[in-house]
Amino acid sequence: MVGAFDFTPAIPLLPFAAFLVAMLVGHFAPRLLPKGGAIPGILATAGSLLLSIWTFLTVSGGSYHAQDIYTWVVGQNTFSLHFGILVDPLSAMMLVIVSLVAVLVHVFSLGYMNDEGETGLPRYYAGLGLFTFSMLAFVVADNLLMAFMFFELVGLCSYLLIGFHFREPGPPSAAKKAFLVTRFGDYFFLIGVVGILATFGTARFVAVGDGVHSFPHLAEQALAAAGGEGTMPEHVAHFLDVIGMNAETWFAILGLLVLGGVVGKSAQFPLHTWLPDAMEGPTPVSALIHAATMVAAGVYLVARMYGFYALLPTVLAIIALVGGFTALFAASMGVVKDELKQVLAYSTISQYGYMMLGLGTGGYIAATFHLMTHAFFKALLFLGAGSVIIAMHHNEDMWDMGGLREKMPVTYYTFLSGSLALAGIVPFSGFWSKDEILYEALIYGAGDSPILLAAYAMGLLAVFFTGFYTFRMVFLTFHGEPRSDTARDPHGVRWNVKLPLVVLGILAATVGLVNMTPVAELTGLHIEYLHQWLVIPEASDFAALGYDNYHHLLEQFAGYHAADIGPLAPGAVSLALALGGAGLAWVLYNVDSPTEHTEKLGGVKTVLYNNYYQDEYQVWLAQGVTLPLARAADTFDQGIVDGVVNGVSSVSLFAGSRVKRIQDGLVTHYAALLTLGLVVLLVAFGLLEGWF
Amino acid sequence: MVELPPLTPQILLGLTAIVLFGIDIIAPDTRKNGLLASVSAIGTVAAAATAVWFLAAGSGDYRFVQFDGALVVDALSLFFAFVVASVATLVVIGSYDYIEGEEHVSEYYSLVLLAATGMSLMAAANSLVTVFVALELASLPSYALVSFLKTDRGSVEAGLKYFLIGALSSAVMVYGISLVYATTGTLLLDDIAAEVAGNQFGGVLGLGILMLAGGFAFKTASVPFHFWAPEAYEGAPAPISAFLSSASKAAGFAVAFRVFTTAFPLDAVAAVAIDWSLLFAVLAVVTMTLGNFAAATQNEVKRMLAYSSIGHAGYVLMGLAALQSGAAEANAFVLGASMTHLLVYGFMNTGAFLFVALVEYWDVGRTFEDYNGLATRAPVACVAMTVFMFSLAGLPVGGGFLSKYLLFAGTVQAGFAWLAAIAAINSALSLYYYSRVVKAIWIEDPSDDLSLAGTPTGLYTAVVAAAVATVVLLVAFDPVAQTAVHAADVLFAL
Repeated sequence: MVGAFDFTPAIPLLPFAAFLVAMLVGHFAPRLLPKGGAIPGILATAGSLLLSIWTFLTVSGGSYHAQDIYTWVVGQNTFSLHFGILVDPLSAMMLVIVSLVAVLVHVFSLGYMNDEGETGLPRYYAGLGLFTFSMLAFVVADNLLMAFMFFELVGLCSYLLIGFHFREPGPPSAAKKAFLVTRFGDYFFLIGVVGILATFGTARFVAVGDGVHSFPHLAEQALAAAGGEGTMPEHVAHFLDVIGMNAETWFAILGLLVLGGVVGKSAQFPLHTWLPDAMEGPTPVSALIHAATMVAAGVYLVARMYGFYALLPTVLAIIALVGGFTALFAASMGVVKDELKQVLAYSTISQYGYMMLGLGTGGYIAATFHLMTHAFFKALLFLGAGSVIIAMHHNEDMWDMGGLREKMPVTYYTFLSGSLALAGIVPFSGFWSKDEILYEALIYGAGDSPILLAAYAMGLLAVFFTGFYTFRMVFLTFHGEPRSDTARDPHGVRWNVKLPLVVLGILAATVGLVNMTPVAELTGLHIEYLHQWLVIPEASDFAALGYDNYHHLLEQFAGYHAADIGPLAPGAVSLALALGGAGLAWVLYNVDSPTEHTEKLGGVKTVLYNNYYQDEYQVWLAQGVTLPLARAADTFDQGIVDGVVNGVSSVSLFAGSRVKRIQDGLVTHYAALLTLGLVVLLVAFGLLEGWF
Repeated sequence: MVELPPLTPQILLGLTAIVLFGIDIIAPDTRKNGLLASVSAIGTVAAAATAVWFLAAGSGDYRFVQFDGALVVDALSLFFAFVVASVATLVVIGSYDYIEGEEHVSEYYSLVLLAATGMSLMAAANSLVTVFVALELASLPSYALVSFLKTDRGSVEAGLKYFLIGALSSAVMVYGISLVYATTGTLLLDDIAAEVAGNQFGGVLGLGILMLAGGFAFKTASVPFHFWAPEAYEGAPAPISAFLSSASKAAGFAVAFRVFTTAFPLDAVAAVAIDWSLLFAVLAVVTMTLGNFAAATQNEVKRMLAYSSIGHAGYVLMGLAALQSGAAEANAFVLGASMTHLLVYGFMNTGAFLFVALVEYWDVGRTFEDYNGLATRAPVACVAMTVFMFSLAGLPVGGGFLSKYLLFAGTVQAGFAWLAAIAAINSALSLYYYSRVVKAIWIEDPSDDLSLAGTPTGLYTAVVAAAVATVVLLVAFDPVAQTAVHAADVLFAL
């Protein structure tokens, strides 16, 4: 029987076909390409969406799937490298999210790009297609190396799309920055991949079938053996012998190396600086890439190999602290931004901080939950922003807006839905997921891991800022009196903009209902559907990817224990903070003619406006540290390495010219030299062999 | 059914030489360059084909002793008969255009054939007498051929120098033979081997062996008997340079391989007289280093090729240098690698010299600068030349890559990693001067008045055939290498 899994490879390949069509037809016969490539893209992503939903439904039936597709390096007496597919609850869910957002972004692009008369559309849609392909292939990757390859491809697409308007000065620069900063993280990731392959001899996430191993499981065995249970896998033992480290330290190093890529891609402190700049890209791209999917790749990767991270309490704590800090840090910067997309950019960084916080504090479900809800409400907010930008003739300054509520009601109400979700107001989706993250951080922190409490505190404080900047944005954009001519007479938007907004608006409002933990606690009903979804029965081959296994690992290896705290009080606290922030924004900005209040911040304002001088110090690092180092290396290369090489060659040429001089053309000399040479040989060998 | 005599390749070559004389006697005054070239080519192709046929039929597995042990036919002699005959084929085809319009054409072809006969007999010589006679049979026609362009001062000068150095070397060698005879009382290689062990005149024997080695060093253009080579190669007609630097060198190595492995078993000789593998190690290092270093500073392509030919002699000498007592398998491997390299070298080096012949035919000039931009006028020949150059340097475009690799690997395996390292450094240096040619013909701009007169069919055929063979040897390398290693096996299986 033909099942959904037979078609799983087609999920990524359909957008790839769209990419090829957009690129080749767009290059050779642009007239034949309907809507500059939008139609093939929409059809392909819609096909991916349908297949993803089918896969999703099959997975809900309790059947999972892992399959090697193609082994591209066959190892002799060592590991092989292959492409494969892994479909489990996590990847099935992510497939649906990515392909859904991709379809909606393609549709929205009709309004944002085609209707606005942009040129170079085939290039744009080719980029979107390639991106969707890479992201979907990344999601279904069954091993870390394949994940890395598509992770890089995703980064490349991001570069191409941010720099779409390459004739203007800003976008190419932003694209380069995004590429370089994420590459910096990916460099560590690459070393991590090599390290994992070398240590475990495999980079698979899960072992299904005979004679197959997965690296999280091998790591678990190795750590258990180090603790006195069971035996160390031979390969790992051998490698640890070679490097002379104990398993715990080395695994933590590996985990941190891979985390380098995550921090870059998911825009975590200190590699977050590229994301605000990336807003130079077209807004639908920001929605697809820099909010809902690519940035999610980093967090998804941690979730994907959570069986490995759950073994490493140090790394978990670092993840939690980085996440919590980023959440607060980015939220505080979002407070003072004037441009609509900038606010959203910082909120994106902040929200991914929450997800990292969730993963670091053992809240695997909570983080996955937030990954899902955020994908919807952030895509919604970006698309809403795109709609506003269309209306405002591509002016993004919120101080030129105001009063758009009446002019564009669909955009307003959907945007409001997204904002409520972002701010974490009950019952919108963001509330449930964010609250659960904070709750998990609290109970494990109050359990045996007090360091998590620090991360929790930062996350909690960030809730207030989130509420504030979100509603500052809403009020400045939509409320009050119009503050410019364009705001008084905005450009209309068509169905192709409104449709995605409505779909996402409904989802942003409701998707949180799939895992209402506080309600479940209160009523005792089993309505934590996401929780049930992510649990894999122990009998399954895939049990190692299930939440129960992760929970077990967290308790056994990371020493995480939940304190007995009910979910209601913490939930109420965070809701109160969110409402407080929103309320402050109401007071300050929900007036007819709002004024800037940033002066009241004094010196802090300058710091915030300059984003804590993050860019400055990174530029200083590049110019003040890296450049001199590079110069020194260059001097070494030019002077010493090249000097040796040049020296060798000039010595050779000199010796050659000497030899040439011996060959002077006089045959008597030759005869003499020949005889002399023979005599030298005779004497030397005569002495050596004792003839005389 | 009549069985062909084992020496058929040699006989065919010799007969062809006589037929060529006959044609000239019958029709002395007619122009018959095409007829003579065709007859020569048929003769050499037949000889090469017979050698391959014998090898394929397994005749090389046995030693066919001829004339009471004076000659022997085995895999080694057949292998080198093939190398000599195939190089001779390329040379006579290339010569058709090159000597068109010269006097004494029939003498030219018959001398080439006689020299080829001598060279292929060298590979079959099994007694020091036949060694010497065959060597002279190869040398004397060569002297005449080098000075074939009688009105060209360079050619005559080169021939004279070659002859004088050759006479000196022959004298050294004959003296060496007499010393060996004095100590062992025999000239047959097999019998010498029996007399060597525990010989009481170790010093005299060692002296004789060393001087004998000098004679071979002359033939293979190894230091310090190499002085003739740059001059002779430069002055001689380019096809003759090709012939001498490929076939003559190969024959010199063939006879050296046989004499040293058969008559002077290393363990016995090293105990009483001389550790000749050490001698060859010294010669190998000096020869390859001098050849490559000198080649790097030349301004003329033909002279560069002459020195590079010396350098390659150094590489091949490693096959003798890396031999050690009691390691039959490693010995056969490294010696086989040497033989393989000689075969591949036969094609790529002959091709390179024939390209020079082609350029001389066009009268373009001799220096690197004169070669500038040739590819714009003669792309096919330049592709072939590029293949030769890179293959000589050891890049994987031709069989030269694999044969060099095999040779170096064999040397390392035999425990002479230092020797292989020196060879590798030399090889890296060689890339410099080989790529100078490639750079000149492809990258540099041609001078304005560069025009090439005609496309000589014979030269083109020979150059392209050599290039094809060089590339084919990259793909079909394995059977060749196996044959060579097998030939070495037969040699050691005494």
